[in-house]
Amino acid sequence: MTKIDVVLTEIIRNRLIAATEEMAKTLIRTAFNPLLYEVQDFGVSIMSATGDLWAETPGCTIFSRALPDVIRNGIRRWGDAFKEGDVMIANDPYETGTHISDTSVYMPAFYDGELVAFCGSTAHWADIGGKNPGGWCPDTTDVYQEGICFRHQKLMAAGVKNQAIWDLIADNVRVPKTVKGDLEAQIACCLQGVERVKSLCAKYGVATVRASIAHVIKETDRAMRDAIAKIPDGEFGASIRLDSDGVNPNGEFLICLKAIVEGERVRFSLRGSSETAIGPVNLPAIGTIGTLASVLKGLLMPHDPTNEGHAMCLEFDLPPGLIVSPVRPAPVDSYGYCIECLTELMFRAFAGLIPDRCPAGGFQMFALSLARSDARYGDPFVMMDVVDGGNGGQPAADGATMMFIGNGDVPNIPVEVLETRYPVRVTEMEFAPEVAGAGKFRGGCGLRKDYLLLESGAYLMFTSENTKDPTAVGYNGGHTGAPGKMIVNPGSPNERVFKERTSGIGPFPAGTVLRAQSGGGGGWGAPKDRDPALVLADVRNGFLTVDDARRLYGVALTNAQGKWQIDASVTQKLRAA
Amino acid sequence: MTKTSRSRVAVDVGGTFMDFVLLDETTGEVRIEKEASIPEELANQCLLGLSRLGIDLATLDQIFHGMTVGVNALVQEKGTRVGLITTKGFRDVLELGRGNRKEVYNYLYKGPPPLVERYLRREVSERLNAKGEVITPLDLAALDREVDYLVDEGVGAIALAFLHAYANPGHEIAARDRIAARYPKLAVSVSHELASEWREYERTTTTVLNAFIQPLVKNYLEDLTNVLGNAGYRKPLAIMQSNGGACDAHTAGEKPIRTLMSGPAGGVIGAKFLSDKLGYGNVICADVGGTTYDVAIIEGGKILERTETQIAGRPILGSLIDITSIGAGGGSIAWLDHRRGFRVGPQSAGASPGPACFGRGGTEPTVTDAHLVLGRLDPDNFLGGRMALDVAAARRVIEEKIAKPLGLSLHDAAEGILAIAETNMANAIRTKTVERGLDPREFMLLSYGGGGGLFAAGVAEELEIPRTMVPVAPANFSAWGILATDYIEDDARTKVMPFDRDHIGDILNTLGGLEDNTSKAVQSYGFKASEVAHYRRLDLRFKGQEYTITVELDANTRSDTTVLRSARRQFVDAHRQLYGHGDADAELEIVSVRCRAVGRVNPPTIAPLPVKGKTPIKTRDVHFREAGGFVATKIIDRDSMAPGVTIEGPAIVEEWTTTTLAPPGWQVTRDEYGNLMLEPRGERK
Repeated sequence: MTKIDVVLTEIIRNRLIAATEEMAKTLIRTAFNPLLYEVQDFGVSIMSATGDLWAETPGCTIFSRALPDVIRNGIRRWGDAFKEGDVMIANDPYETGTHISDTSVYMPAFYDGELVAFCGSTAHWADIGGKNPGGWCPDTTDVYQEGICFRHQKLMAAGVKNQAIWDLIADNVRVPKTVKGDLEAQIACCLQGVERVKSLCAKYGVATVRASIAHVIKETDRAMRDAIAKIPDGEFGASIRLDSDGVNPNGEFLICLKAIVEGERVRFSLRGSSETAIGPVNLPAIGTIGTLASVLKGLLMPHDPTNEGHAMCLEFDLPPGLIVSPVRPAPVDSYGYCIECLTELMFRAFAGLIPDRCPAGGFQMFALSLARSDARYGDPFVMMDVVDGGNGGQPAADGATMMFIGNGDVPNIPVEVLETRYPVRVTEMEFAPEVAGAGKFRGGCGLRKDYLLLESGAYLMFTSENTKDPTAVGYNGGHTGAPGKMIVNPGSPNERVFKERTSGIGPFPAGTVLRAQSGGGGGWGAPKDRDPALVLADVRNGFLTVDDARRLYGVALTNAQGKWQIDASVTQKLRAA
Repeated sequence: MTKTSRSRVAVDVGGTFMDFVLLDETTGEVRIEKEASIPEELANQCLLGLSRLGIDLATLDQIFHGMTVGVNALVQEKGTRVGLITTKGFRDVLELGRGNRKEVYNYLYKGPPPLVERYLRREVSERLNAKGEVITPLDLAALDREVDYLVDEGVGAIALAFLHAYANPGHEIAARDRIAARYPKLAVSVSHELASEWREYERTTTTVLNAFIQPLVKNYLEDLTNVLGNAGYRKPLAIMQSNGGACDAHTAGEKPIRTLMSGPAGGVIGAKFLSDKLGYGNVICADVGGTTYDVAIIEGGKILERTETQIAGRPILGSLIDITSIGAGGGSIAWLDHRRGFRVGPQSAGASPGPACFGRGGTEPTVTDAHLVLGRLDPDNFLGGRMALDVAAARRVIEEKIAKPLGLSLHDAAEGILAIAETNMANAIRTKTVERGLDPREFMLLSYGGGGGLFAAGVAEELEIPRTMVPVAPANFSAWGILATDYIEDDARTKVMPFDRDHIGDILNTLGGLEDNTSKAVQSYGFKASEVAHYRRLDLRFKGQEYTITVELDANTRSDTTVLRSARRQFVDAHRQLYGHGDADAELEIVSVRCRAVGRVNPPTIAPLPVKGKTPIKTRDVHFREAGGFVATKIIDRDSMAPGVTIEGPAIVEEWTTTTLAPPGWQVTRDEYGNLMLEPRGERK
């Protein structure tokens, strides 16, 4: 095909996106593991025979951005030895970009004997045989402690099951049935993609499919360059310090990002970041690059279906050996903190350039895992729950609550489902408005969720947020949001409050109350510029006290027959002061 | 009660028009009428349309009504002020939602705001556990206080949603009765009565949405019942529900959330009825409108349904026909995106300003403009000549906005608009079929709505569907379909337990209870118990999975052993068909049981047409990409086309409200009932 057929190009682009959507649905619907069907800790992509991203449907955005690198590493391993019906497995964090629990499964798609594309999925497994159950190792010191590692072995070779690998997996993970179910779901997902690619080739021919999608990528690259060219040139830097790496109490864990905009290119430098940590908060370089590319795409073209073209005009200055570019065998299991911080750093760096696109700082990350393995207390279980908090105020709206910005988003587990499955009762689930940063547009609220344990013997692990250098900073005069915390038996004489990283607490007796309270978002703009009507609504709705309305926002309210009203003259005086 | 009626009317209210279809049972004659749909005057407009049909309402046996009052109030957010009462500790469920934004790259995303502000969400002390056991009794004094507060705040309706009410409705019933005793006229929507299924956010939004529109819909239906009663109508008014069945006006007034898809459901019921008659088990139903393309599937004679939907991002629980709607239709706008990618829809020029060729100020090229430029539409004979089309305007906008920027000829650009619209439509069908493991090539495509005939062959070609039908009067097909509606009641109960010998007794008991409830509801519409048919369904999954597959039990499968065995077999087969794997002996879990009761109404008759003589054929030059340009095309008037005659494409069949294309390589036949059958010809079959 010499001349590009614009109509056909649009048709082929649409069908590839639809194919990844079908792949994702198959994965969610057949998975056995709540991290996949509930938390959507996965991504699926279709890539060219050389690993260029053609189309994706993300759960977590980092996975679909990193899958092309997985494929390129697979090509390095196998050269042209891929066969029709092969299924490969890879989870080496240094080849996949995140941590060892995130397992990529991919298949080549052949048409008429010719390799046309790869269809892949990355999914967080229920267990990967590391030192802690469920792939949640906050204190490892090398990657070997984190689980069993695969580097592009064939699960199926030309359609024939490689039983030895399947047995090896079953013998090395704590929940073999669940893992096998998920693995089958991942294969079903890839097969679906392969079928769609084949039928596309059958209808339009391999050359047309390739040329069309190459055209789409070229035009996307051009559109991305146009968008960058509209941003003023300049250098913008920001940094965040992590509280801890889970192991070394004395270390420094600084992440520095500098974005250099020059014409229609962006160069990112991470020089100045701390060297690789002893504990597992490091993020492999593939993950660092993928996160930056993915966030820039989100800032400039949030609604554009992602392909290779969105990342072609970026350059990275990322020397090895940093916290964001560790070298094997450094531990990486808690990679998520860095991803979230990089996302916040991107907003901070670009807020001065494209202020209408960047929210103020948000809560970092809040999730917990409650698990019991000792059968003397009852059936073993692992309950993972995400307690998303508040995001930053926006240029024209308050920040959202219970939404995760850093890397995809997740649905929560309904209380009615949770209580059917695990020996807990949720006694309260509500906004925690006091942690939101004040502002012209205030930050989103935290979420407060109390779990009453109905049985004994469970242990708790949880993520923790930065307390010394919070992520939820306010912009343009907005206030900073407060970080989250975990409280055991709140309000009782034996109350214990946890703000910093712990590797697991318990076992708890029945009757213990665990309160998870996520952090709030930062405000956008000065509180005294907030519309008094919004302040009034916040008081009426219990998001703000009358005293805080006066103290933070300079809005005076009076109560007439049980209804709050704005005292305009006092408000004017307060705000003029 | 005998349901043999001599004449009946369907009244389908749309955005711009109300469609009336009168069927005379004795002669089989169908009459059609249209009235403007004026929001404040619906009842009177309805009466006006009925009187224009020239019927005596006192002798009319049934009026079927498809309405949009509820859905419009929801979409425009013009409902009543609602107060919500929840379990202590859970008033924020409504505003928190479930997280999980779909636009993962949009960092400024915000979900839909709650329909009830926080200060109108009140809590009372009460608590059940997941088994439905009482942990904390209901505090009636607190309930009184909170209801008084809400009444004082001027709410027009109360929504009541307690945790685990699906497992034990006791507290909700007690609260409902207490409120009714204190405020007899206050509308109360109760979660377990609307959806007895788990997941508190989804059940709460369903309840709040119902409360939001309930006073409005109830008033409208009472008004309509009075107006019709004063005009002499004595029979019950049948209201179309989203599940494809009718209920009475009282039920619809209490549970309007069930009627949101009232209109589009009619077309699918008509499609099912027609395809049953003609012997097609597998049918893709496609309703081609001005702004949307609505797809539903009939497989093995059964309409595929779902148990949840969303309106404006807010979920609604309850059985409904699985209709997927995409932004593609006659008014869809063609545009170039930031990549210079060629896109069509989802934005639409709507009825106003409409396509450029309507001459009402439209400046964007639309699908209808493309059809006109290619000669597919006759500019002097659109809507039977009621509206002249401006060909020059259509050419101008396509030339300027599409052809020039892309370096295409005018006609290639117009063909491109149609090809992209067709693939968008085909993709909608593909997702509906392929994701369920169904092969569209094993289906018949039934294409109706105003654009049904223009987008029949093209979509079928894209999907390699062998046979396509454009029914009689396709633009009025949805209203006609309403005439074939039965009375239906659905109920469901969440019941999470192993699907095994130890639990089957409990499961069958629950099913029995649902059968009784739904049967009584249908009997209240005037049916004998013996006239009510039942359908029982189970939502099953492999132990350890989250998502379920619904299987339907055979009517005779009743004993413990046969239910266990046959449901397992159906589930495993379905899992294999959908996902390619499934262990025949793995442990199964049940999540919900469902029951549907149906009271059958005599369907309209479909009579063969009287045989006519020769079919007059004119010709006009029409552009087809298959022909590489303009080619002499046969033009046939649908009413004068003789049954049994086959015309080879390129051909165009014209009628008052629509146009049907048979491109080169296709043929069109009018069957003995008047339907147009489109098929690829010869070796293309």
